Amino acid sequence: MVNDSGQLYTMEGVAAGVIMLLTVYIVISTTSIYTPGDTHIPDMQLEQLGSDVLAMMDTPNAKDSTGSDLETFVDADDSTGFESMFLGYCNMTAGATDDLHMSANVTYRDANLNVIKEHPFVEPDDSWTGRESAVRVTRWVQLDLQSSPPRSPYGSRAQAVLVEVLLWRA
Amino acid sequence: MACMNEDGQWIVLMGLLAALALFFLALIINQSALVGQTTAEGVLEFPKSDIRDLRTAIFDYVDKFGNTVDPDSQAVREDITRISLERKNAVVGFTVGTPQDVSGRPLRPVTIHYYNGVTEYDETVYY
Repeated sequence: MVNDSGQLYTMEGVAAGVIMLLTVYIVISTTSIYTPGDTHIPDMQLEQLGSDVLAMMDTPNAKDSTGSDLETFVDADDSTGFESMFLGYCNMTAGATDDLHMSANVTYRDANLNVIKEHPFVEPDDSWTGRESAVRVTRWVQLDLQSSPPRSPYGSRAQAVLVEVLLWRA
Repeated sequence: MACMNEDGQWIVLMGLLAALALFFLALIINQSALVGQTTAEGVLEFPKSDIRDLRTAIFDYVDKFGNTVDPDSQAVREDITRISLERKNAVVGFTVGTPQDVSGRPLRPVTIHYYNGVTEYDETVYY
């Protein structure tokens, strides 16, 4: 025989259960999920790192030196030297080395044809898949007049070129 | 309420307060995720390094050419404005004046203009 005492306690228990479920739902639904699209914070840090490395390379080594390392690399079109120095600075950490990769272009103006051209300076390595979350960092470089032989491919005149580096973490 | 006794009301009340506190903590966690994202978006959107880089390029130009106007300097000036427009979607212009006496030193007034459709930057600097 079922008796009807304690009905209010049962109702209270049901109400408490509903309130607890509701609380759990609210707590879980208010925290957002970090998706691969939300990479703004690592991107921001990577961009700062890349521009700092370029700024460092664009600083002359001594007060009376003629130009910076970056200027020398671009002037001589020395892509391997540029790549190893850039990645060396980028991947330098206190512990194990970081795993950053890069490619670089130099944009220049062909004064004879008056068109903007792009020179592939450093090709991306084999780890490039096309789906990296890469950031772009840039630095202006001013090249001096060079009489002969004409500097390939920028030409001999004094000019400003833009070094653009794509940087990503593999 | 016939058979219910009134013991433990303080415990029930404190339970309610704990639930409310949890609710507000969840709200704070929610807001913190949003704050991190909007801050990072704001930083990425603002062309800080572009503007600093452009200033350096213009100061290099002034170091090299001063305020002389000849085909060589005009070509470098055109490099900077054309490449900025092509690769950075930014309208860039700058002028270099004749040296003026600033606190006993001859400095050139340099005006710099930068506009990429979102951020506009104008500066007059004595260099």
